[in-house]
Amino acid sequence: MQADDHAIMREVIDKTLAGCVSPEEEQSLREHLPACAQCQEYLNAGSRVIAGLGGFSFEVNPGLQAKVVASLKLRAEQLEAAQPSRRRMVWGCIAAVVLLVTGSAVAAQFGNLAAGSLHLQPNQVQRVLMAVWVLPSLCFALLFPLLPLLRNRKESVL
Amino acid sequence: MAEYDMTLAVGVSSDTQRIARGLRQRDVTLLQALVEQYQYRLVRYLIYLLGRRDDVDDLVQETWLRVLERGQSYDGRSRFEPWLFTIARHLAIDHMRKRRTVSLEAEDDGEPQSPASGDPSPFVLAARTEDSQRLAQSMQTLDFIYREVLMLRFQEDLSLQEVAAVIGAPVSTVASRIYRGLRTLREQLEGGKHAS
Repeated sequence: MQADDHAIMREVIDKTLAGCVSPEEEQSLREHLPACAQCQEYLNAGSRVIAGLGGFSFEVNPGLQAKVVASLKLRAEQLEAAQPSRRRMVWGCIAAVVLLVTGSAVAAQFGNLAAGSLHLQPNQVQRVLMAVWVLPSLCFALLFPLLPLLRNRKESVL
Repeated sequence: MAEYDMTLAVGVSSDTQRIARGLRQRDVTLLQALVEQYQYRLVRYLIYLLGRRDDVDDLVQETWLRVLERGQSYDGRSRFEPWLFTIARHLAIDHMRKRRTVSLEAEDDGEPQSPASGDPSPFVLAARTEDSQRLAQSMQTLDFIYREVLMLRFQEDLSLQEVAAVIGAPVSTVASRIYRGLRTLREQLEGGKHAS
């Protein structure tokens, strides 16, 4: 047996222990091991290391769990209080949609009337109504349903 | 056997879905059960990562608070442990960076660095078997990148893919760290017999 062969077999043993050996390599190791005391010893030493890692038993501070649970409860309450209620979100969304529809109707129906009384062009009045009424309410109407999605994305990025 | 595996997979999946649902709802009762179930494993992982006992309790607490705050990002499609360890790892590495910055600043100011803790290594204190006692000193000097993959693979029984996800590295890197970590500890156990 060449020294290189042992080196190769040791790599296969490392792979076996790590759990990423191919079936062919596993087969070659199975054939090699019975005739090679050195590689058997290498495998046993690796297995002993893994078993040795299981021989550490760390002590956990007995008060830690209670401390963690208390801080979780407190934080959960804080988060709950900080979150706008679902009902408020729904009402906000409905109000924005109503404003949007009303604004559009006013812009469409009464633009000409308002233009006549104010001595302006109808499209000027419509533009003003769009800028100060329809567009802001459209933005708010879209913002409310999108707010939770934006918050989730921010949290996942962080 | 295939039937058994399927049952097991369905069981794991329904369990992780239940956890994901609870985390989305910020269910404190579920979190309490998770704390109880994973507390020791989290403490052990952080000790392997940091190589010392102090600060571990604070990091455990921070990890669970982060789980509560970011629970919505756990989708329940994979096991809970790798996700939990990933959170703990980010916090621990931030913590190590801060400690290093503070220590370097103290050095720049010409102030003496904080004295090394006189406490014995957590591995020496935790060694319960003859082999683990032999390994304890090496564990302390072994770089944390090797300690953590050994722990995740052999103590937590995570797959190589899961370990790779936790440490944010390719599977090949995880495998080579495992080989190197095992070789170092093997040499320690065998008194350098296999050193190449």
